[in-house]
Formats: sequence, C-alpha cells, structure tokens
Amino acid sequence: MPVMSLKGARSAGRFVRALAATAAATAMLVLAAAAASATTGGHGNVINIPFERYELANGLTVILAPDHATPQATVDVWYHVGSKNEAAGHTGFAHMFEHVMFTGSAHVPYGTHDRLTEGVGGDNNGSTSNDRTQYYEDVPANYVESALWMEADRMGFLLDKLDETKFVAQRDVVKNERRQRTDNVPYGRAYEILTSAMLPDGHPYSWPIVGYMTDLQKATVDDVKDFFRLYYAPSNATLSVVGDFDPAQVRSWITKYFVDLPAGAPVTRPAVPTVTLAAPKRLVYEDRVQVPRLYVTWPSAGEDDDDYYALDVMSDILAGSRTARITKALVYDRQTATAANMFNDGNEKFGSALLMITPRPGHTLTELEASADSILARFLQEGPTADEMARALAGTEFGFVSELESNLGKAEILNSGAAFHGDPGYYKTAYAKLKAVTAADVKRVAAKYLVPGRVVLSVVPAGKPEQASNAGPSTKVTVSPDGGHYLMEAK
Amino acid sequence: MRPCDVTRRALVALALTVVCATCAAPLHAQSKLDRGVAPTPGPSPAIRVPVWTHAKLANGAELVVTPKHDLPLVSVSINFVGGSYAFEPAGKVGTAAFAAQMLSEGTAARTADQFSEAQQLLGTSINASVTGESGSIGFTALADKLGPALDLVAEMLLHPTFPTASLERIRGRTLVQLKQAKDQPNAIAANVFSRTVFGTEHPYGRVMTEATVQAVTRDDIVAFHATYFRPGRSVITVAGDVDPAAVKTLFERAFALWAAGGERPAWQYPPAPVAPATRIYLVDKPGAAQSVFAIGLPGPPRSTPDYFALQVMNTLLGGLFQSRLNHDIREVHGFSYGVNSSFGFGRGPGAFRAGGGVITAKTDSALIEFMMEFRGVQGGIPFTDDEIQQGKESLVQSLPKRFGSVNAVAGSVSSLFTQDLPQTYYRDYPANVRAVTREDLVRVAKKYIDLQHLDIVIVADRSAVEAPLAATGIAPIVLLDLEGRPVASGSAVPTGAGGR
Repeated sequence: MPVMSLKGARSAGRFVRALAATAAATAMLVLAAAAASATTGGHGNVINIPFERYELANGLTVILAPDHATPQATVDVWYHVGSKNEAAGHTGFAHMFEHVMFTGSAHVPYGTHDRLTEGVGGDNNGSTSNDRTQYYEDVPANYVESALWMEADRMGFLLDKLDETKFVAQRDVVKNERRQRTDNVPYGRAYEILTSAMLPDGHPYSWPIVGYMTDLQKATVDDVKDFFRLYYAPSNATLSVVGDFDPAQVRSWITKYFVDLPAGAPVTRPAVPTVTLAAPKRLVYEDRVQVPRLYVTWPSAGEDDDDYYALDVMSDILAGSRTARITKALVYDRQTATAANMFNDGNEKFGSALLMITPRPGHTLTELEASADSILARFLQEGPTADEMARALAGTEFGFVSELESNLGKAEILNSGAAFHGDPGYYKTAYAKLKAVTAADVKRVAAKYLVPGRVVLSVVPAGKPEQASNAGPSTKVTVSPDGGHYLMEAK
Repeated sequence: MRPCDVTRRALVALALTVVCATCAAPLHAQSKLDRGVAPTPGPSPAIRVPVWTHAKLANGAELVVTPKHDLPLVSVSINFVGGSYAFEPAGKVGTAAFAAQMLSEGTAARTADQFSEAQQLLGTSINASVTGESGSIGFTALADKLGPALDLVAEMLLHPTFPTASLERIRGRTLVQLKQAKDQPNAIAANVFSRTVFGTEHPYGRVMTEATVQAVTRDDIVAFHATYFRPGRSVITVAGDVDPAAVKTLFERAFALWAAGGERPAWQYPPAPVAPATRIYLVDKPGAAQSVFAIGLPGPPRSTPDYFALQVMNTLLGGLFQSRLNHDIREVHGFSYGVNSSFGFGRGPGAFRAGGGVITAKTDSALIEFMMEFRGVQGGIPFTDDEIQQGKESLVQSLPKRFGSVNAVAGSVSSLFTQDLPQTYYRDYPANVRAVTREDLVRVAKKYIDLQHLDIVIVADRSAVEAPLAATGIAPIVLLDLEGRPVASGSAVPTGAGGR
C-alpha cells in the first residue's frame, strides 16, 4: 500500500520507506515476503513477538510487547481509516486530517508533540495509507507516559481547540507535499493515472492517498470536524506499546488516560467491488522526462485474499532480481532495458500487479512490451521452476527477523494484524500461508490475474507521443485544466 | 459511502450518548484526572554503549567485533578508509562506483547469475560501494549464514573477473540514469551546488558526467581494484549474534589469500576556492511545480574543535522538525513540505547546506525567511534556554538509536576507527554536547554561515521566480544551466546587490 508520511523531509528512514511503498512495496508486503521459509535455518522460533492484548470498555484495542534491548519504547496508534473511506470530490482528506492531528488538542498545545519526542532524543511521525492512519512516538523509556498522554488527548479532545490558521497552513503543507512527491517528480503521476484508469469511478481505491489538488483546496474546518467524529474514537483504534517498559505500569497509564474516552459509533466500511477489465486499456502520458517508461498493471488480490501470497512470489520470480525472468532477459541478456521491476501492491481489500520497464536508448516501448509479453506467455504455460520457488522464498525469514530489530517495526506488525485481521498475531498466519505457496499456486494466480484486461501506460517525453508502446491505439492522458483529475477518453 | 453525509453525523451523536452511559463509572472514578498537566518523566535511562573487541588480521586489516545477542542476526562490513577523491582519476569520475558494481559481475568460480543465486539462497544481499572518502563491502544476514556469506565476499573481493560486457552494460545504464537525473530538480540542485561551491578543480566539486563515464576503461577498473581494496586501509566491523574469537578464525580463513598492503590516504585537499560575494544561482526548470533551494558554502572538516558547537547550533537551526527553519517556513508559513540544514563534516571542507522544496509562488518569501533565520542564529533572534536544552537533549538522548540494530551498531562503532575518533567517543558524547555554551552557538553561526559569501542555488521556473527574487534585493542573480555553467544569453537581471 502506498503510504504518505507527515514529515518525510526530516525523517530519512521513514521517508525512504514511504517512497518505496509508493512503488508498491508495503509494510504487509515486507512482512509477507519476510514470512516464508521456516524450513531453512534453525530460527523458526524467532518468528515470534511475545505480546499481551486486551480491550478497554470503550473498544480500544491495546497491545503490549515489552523488549528491553534498548532503553527506548514506541507508542503506535492506528486508526482504521484511510483514503478508501473518502468519497470522490473529497479526496486526500484522510491524509490532510493526519496533519491536523499535529496542530494541538485541548490539553496538549501545538508543539508539545515535538518537544516531548524530538526535544528529548525521540521522534514522532504520522502516515496515511488507503486503509489506515498511523501515529507514533519513538521515545526514551522515561517518556512513555508522556506519549500516551498526548495520544489520548488527540484521540479525545482534538476538536476542542481546532485552530483554523494552523489548519490552513497544514493544507498548504499538504499541497506542497503533493507537489514535492508527485507533481515535481519525473514519472510521479504514473501511479495515479494507472489506478484511476484501472478502477471504475467511485471505487474506494481509485483516487490517490494524497488527493487531487482541487479537492485539497476546498477542504474546510467543518470537514475536519466531521471526519474526526466519524473515525477518530477508541473503538476504531489500536494502540501498541513496544519496548523497554513495565507492563503493569503501562496498563495503569493506559487506563488513566484512555478509559473515559467515548467509544465512538460503529464505522461503516466502504464496499470494495471486485474489478476486472473487459478489454485492455492503452494510455500515453507526456511528462517532463527525457527517457520513456512502460507501465503495465493488472487488478489482482489484496490482503484479504489468499492469492495475495502467491502473487507476491510470482512478482519476485518475474521481475526485480538479476535472475528474475523479465529482468534477466531484458536488462542482462538482451540489454534492451535498463531496469525492469514488478510488485504486487496489496492493500487491505484490493491489490494490483504492476510491471515497470525502462528502455535503453535505441529500444522502443513497443519492442519491450512485446518481449515482456512473450516471457509472460511462456511463464503462464510452464509455471515457475523449483529453483525459482526456492530463491523467491529463501530470504523471507531473514526479512522477518530484520523487522523485529526496531520497536516501531514490531508495533506495525502487531497493529496491522489487529486492524485488518482482528488479531495482532496474524503475522504467524501470514507466515504460514506464504510458506505454503507452491509452484502450482503461482502458476494458477498468474493465469487468473495476468490476463488481457490490463492497463498499459507509456510515459513519454513531452511532444513525443509516437514513443508510446503501440502508439496508434493509445489514448492520450492529460491533467484537467483545474488540476483536479486526469482526462482520458477511453475511461 | 460518503464521509461527509449529514445523516451520519446525527447517527454518531446518538451513538455517543449511548456509549457514554455505559462508561459512566470509569468517568466518575477518573474525575480527578487533570489532563492539562503533562506527566513528569522519570530519570533519563543510562546511556548503554556496547562493548567491542579489536584485533588485527595477519594481513593488517583491523577487525572490530561487537556482540549483540537479542536476535539471530549479524552485520558485516569491510570498510575502506579513503574513497574516490583519493583513488579515482579526476577525469574518470565513475571508476570507483563501477569497480564496486563490477565485483558482483562474476568470479573465477561463478558467473554473475550464479553469484546472484548464491546470495538469494542465503537470504542475503552483498552490497559494495565506494563514495568520496570511504568504501564498503558488506551484508546483513541470519547469524548461521555468516560463514558461507563471508566466503562469497572473499570470492568477489579476491577473484573478480570484470567482464568487458558487464562494464558496457553498467556504463549504458549509468548514461541513462545521468539523462534521467536532468529531469530531477533535487539532483540538479545537488550537482550545481557542488559545482558553484567547490569549482571544477577541487575533488568535492567533481561530478559524474557523460564524458567521465565514457572515459572509464576495463584497465581503469582492474587498476582501481588492485590499488584500492587493500587490507591495510580496511576496518572490518561485525556486529550481532556472534563470538569474537570465532569471527576472527572465520575471517583469517576466508581472507587468507588477501595480501597485506595499502595505506590510509593523507587527506591533503587543495583549499576550497575563494567564495565570491553572495549570489543567487538560478537554474531554469520551466513548468517546475516547486523551487528547490540549496544555500551554503564550504565548511570545516570533521576534525574541527567546533564540531560539538556546530552540531548543537545546526540542530537548532535546521536539524530537527521543530528547528527554526522548518518551523518558520513549513509550519508557520506553509511554504514547503520540509526544509533543513546540515554540515558535510568530511575530511576536507564539507559544505554547510540549507534547503528544500518551496512552492513556486513563495520562492522570494522563502528566501527572505532563510536569510532571516541565518541572521537569527547569529544573534538576531537570541536562543532561549529551553531551545538550547531541547537541542542538546535531542542529540544526547538519541544515542541509543545508534545502537538499535546490528547495522546501526556496526556503523557507529566503525566510524570511530575510520574517522580517527577516540574509543571513549560515545561515553564522552553527552558531556561534550552539554558543554556547549550559548556564546559558542552564536560564535560558530557567525563564523561558518558567512552571509557575505553564500551560494544560493535555486532550481525553479525562471519565468515565475526571477523578477520576485530580484526584487528582494538579497543578491544579484546569475543564470546557470543544468550542469552549473553560466548561461551566456539572457544574462542576469540587474538587481540591488547591496540590498542586504
């Protein structure tokens, strides 16, 4: 799932993660990729995060995972709301709201969050995906209570001191975030165009997390209030505390600060229709780039579908590593491309497989699409080899254990399971499912999803639409005059 | 569903009433909670610095091992002191980077594909890189894969085959990447900034171009490999779930054929060029959605006695989210998604640099704010006690993060050995930071942020920003191309250069 993060500019590690996610790697994808292969190595027992889970009367899910390796702790709150809860015409709101959550609440003035995290050697940030919004504090062990106090205050009392000036400034910050990460980046709009073309109007995953510029501009303080009342309450949140703390002490603090917050009403989740494309869509977008690039995307499966795991393995086998089929053929053997990558971008209830190829000079997108298609055709026929399966799954245990190195990494694994599967320990299930993927599964999901109904987008240098793959049948994509959305006839 | 639907709001209000009735008891029990009182933190946790062992291999390489047993992981890095500035021919920028990439392109025993497969099956990935002043070859893996992964590192380091076809492939890809970099405003700003600040003669001003990439030959790669990757300038750091004695045995065996030799470079740099009076260097990027800033000048080396004062001063100016620059330009004015500042702190005159992306329409306003904040840290806006306290504690209390993972431990420990820092560096770090005074902060801000000699590089849509920038009167405008060369035609607009 792509993730927008609040403070990308200063938080290098998180920013990198967020950017990688935009290219379609996700926190759960990392987890899932990490999770296979207990059979190799002797560390099956380390696929484990000891935790305690309980629920307050108001519905707040609490997860405690002590770890005394370093004298620090992470407080991580997830609200089960993201851009898919928005409506067309109001896009970008979940993420903009995340910024508002840092402008102060009734008893915690603006600036206190940074003082009591950064100012004492810690860190904080927020992030928004299609499916959830995250807030965390990484703090020295003696500031856990402060972090809980601050999170409780904005969970319960954000609106008491909503400051219109600060809201307007944050709206401008978000518009700058959109410029910096989408509009001013070569190929930056490709992902938005693909998603918008692949999904029908109104589909909850069809608009960008950061939102369209016109929608951002018209967001008001009243929208903020409505959004808070709908989605920000204990019953729609999970709270993980991971690190160097005494559980009895932390339980008492959680009771102290959270127990009297009102539960909130049940949230109506948007229905997410299954998507298939009756016919291929071919698009061309002229960008401020000097080198064209080919994007091919297929609707696939999200985390709620077990095909997700086989799709992950399939993507690894097809493109990315030096020995992956498309990469090996195009980048290394024939040297017609400089890069070829593939991901299954899996969200809570929707996924898409995405293939990206950048040509070398002298080679056309038409040629590369044909090459990729012939490799795919062969793969669909024969499926993966045993060696390919072994390589794709070999690194998964290491990847999982690496995630356990940080308190934040563990908190995210636990919160993700709790928010999306009602079980903080869901990573073990995901691990088992990934471990169980067979060559036959990969062959089956390839046949099921890598079908003719797909979107092919050529991003080409401005004024050179003829560089598109099969330029003739391609529809030209433009940004609407108000910057509000993309115009493409064939939609 | 429609999040803004009025009906839903009414439903929420109703539900709240019901739920609150059910939690009446806790409400009463908690009635004395005063949420306006921030919790009092307990005492700061003691800083725990890990313990490492230090040994020398028979070939002269230093071996530093830091056990960390909480997870079955190990991080290995062979660090080389010195990098492309000292070991790469000036007209062949790219040689060092290519040599590092070529190490994975095949060995006497394996093809490149086989080498890649071997790494995948161990669940690891060996990374090799050489930058300006250092290089490294390393990996992170499950601890039980240490031996076989180490054998792969030895194989690529000692027996690479450097196939010509691979060099041509890497060259071709690099040329495409250079072309793509000209579309990226951040990359343009970084390149132009190093060019304006350090000129074309100083190693810090060297940038990779099509010409330097075309000039690299296989012989250059072979020569660089033979000269550079030597044990005499290497510090091997291992951190994780390992036993130091066993690690030493493993290394002696795996690298038995790595012949002694190699020295650390002398670090003799030419002085940075004399900085001209402050200029705005404008690089035109028609249609750019943002203006990218890089403002600065040559700075002091890492060995400066002002290091700790500079670290604290920069933390207050632009090192944190709540620092003055970001607070002002992002949080108060909403001009940006984020701005920051830093000192390069290399062995030579690493640059001070402040910058970030700014909305086109506020390019002039943002520049005025940058200049105001520079004057501010020089005394114009006095530091408060609270501000200084937070800046220092943010540095001191974040020390544990430097030891939070096997990679972090390996990096933190190796920097002591590669940068000639004392073994007691981390132990003494809190005291050194806390010893910095308010007077030190103002002194170093005045000394190292010389407002009369700043290079203000702005990559932006010229048609939208040139006139407003000129109107600020902050400095004359010089137009540069994407490589940082003066643009002959359409030369600088006359501006009030003495306006400051």
